[in-house]
Amino acid sequence: MRPVVVLIAVLVGAFLFLPMLIVVPMSFSNARSFAFPPPGYWIGYYTAYFNDYRWTIPTLNSVIIATATTIVTMALVVPAAFGLLRHRFKGRNLVNLLMMAPLMVPHIVLALSYYLFLGKFRLTGTHAGVIIAHTCLSAPLAFLIVAATLKGFDRNLERAAMSAGAGPFRTFWYVTLPALRPGMLVAALFAFIHSFDETVVAIFIAGRAASTLPRKMFESIRLEADPVIAVVSTLLFTLVIVATVVATFWRKRTSHAT
Amino acid sequence: MARPDVRAWLLVGPATLFIFLLFVAPLGEMLWRSVGGADFTLKHYETFFSTPLYIRVLGHTFWTAFVVTLICLLLGYPVAFVIARYGGKLGGLLLLVVAMSMWTSFLVRAYAWMVILGNRGPVVALLNALGDPNPKVLFTTFAATIGLVHLLLPYMVMAIYAVMARIDPAHLRAAASLGATPGSAFRHVYLPLSLPGVVNGCVLVFIICLGFYVTPVLLGGPQDHLIAGLIGEQIEELLNWGLAAAMSMVLLVATLGVLAIYNAVVGLDKLWG
Repeated sequence: MRPVVVLIAVLVGAFLFLPMLIVVPMSFSNARSFAFPPPGYWIGYYTAYFNDYRWTIPTLNSVIIATATTIVTMALVVPAAFGLLRHRFKGRNLVNLLMMAPLMVPHIVLALSYYLFLGKFRLTGTHAGVIIAHTCLSAPLAFLIVAATLKGFDRNLERAAMSAGAGPFRTFWYVTLPALRPGMLVAALFAFIHSFDETVVAIFIAGRAASTLPRKMFESIRLEADPVIAVVSTLLFTLVIVATVVATFWRKRTSHAT
Repeated sequence: MARPDVRAWLLVGPATLFIFLLFVAPLGEMLWRSVGGADFTLKHYETFFSTPLYIRVLGHTFWTAFVVTLICLLLGYPVAFVIARYGGKLGGLLLLVVAMSMWTSFLVRAYAWMVILGNRGPVVALLNALGDPNPKVLFTTFAATIGLVHLLLPYMVMAIYAVMARIDPAHLRAAASLGATPGSAFRHVYLPLSLPGVVNGCVLVFIICLGFYVTPVLLGGPQDHLIAGLIGEQIEELLNWGLAAAMSMVLLVATLGVLAIYNAVVGLDKLWG
């Protein structure tokens, strides 16, 4: 039985991985359309990507929006995790549910809601509008990660610092915060990636002015017009491969070290 | 004892207020529009439920979500099993592949399928060589389904693996020492223990699929429109806000309905615990 199961797993793994590889040769293709195998190779579309403002501006917008989303999300979520985990108060369950609620609503439903709601305040087609929407979407995951880290934190460390004469602020700054830093970094990374990748809400509310990279990619795939999409896909795919491999080895090293 | 409450609310207040004003209120706005605002009416819901096309799309959405969930389960379970049970180099590599595909943007993967299944792509070339002069692959139900499975499979694997990783291998050794064959040990011990992961994965994939927009729109034909595509069409063509809002409410209620069943049977905190 074992060889059969392993064979199935390997085939499924290949089904997951191999199709994505096709974007690499496509990015060096000199065809104007989505032909595979490519009729010839060049790197012209790479220079096109870095020089075409229709691609560079959405890329920049995505970085700006994801950075702002990360900052706002963390500023909201870290205190909320402390409040929910370390205090009992009336309405605690309701607040907890509210923090998770954005996970439960389909993105297309939110796209329409934000389109109608932000439109009233003239915020559709602005960076602020997209940042607001992305913060709500990133908050649940970031909150879960910070809360999980906080749950694993040994409060005796704080008591030790307090009994050694540190005030609450110094205890927080020198003991609690350093211990939580890895978890908070992961939460921030999730918030950033979530915003950077978010497509559906951005398609409908970002407009031309605040158009993000995924919105631009969606348009160019749908119109089957712009071969630069292959370059962007290859760059994003390479980024993911490097990041996952680095993360895997880093985790192996740290788990060996401890 | 008001003071501790005040301190707690100082901490949770900003996040609560933000989500209430900038997440709940927009949804409220949509609900308000779906019933015609101040001139209360149910005509948008009546239109939705009396138009055969819309009902067909709604049915097709549930059917697609069901099929995609089933395929993801059949493909995902063996992968999670090999990672959790056999581990080693192969398990590590499979986990890496699943993580990579999970982190690769939906759009990159949709684009890859567009090339593979496209008119000037390898699949069509192969079918030409096999004697089909004019095969139609892209913009079909097949393309939309394969795209959705490829996109959502990593979630299924991760959900099942998360539960399998916590199964104590001693259970299987105990079953074996009591005389169970590997097959019956799997059926009577391992499979039931991994079932919570299966349920989590299925619920996750099913609800994501119910509201999915990008892939069916890019890879499927007009007959493969899911309800999300229908809503998107209404927004893009600035057709009928009330109707679009009513459609969204139907999708929202369907999604929350699935989650409510899950909550009643398993408990919602288990889904992301």
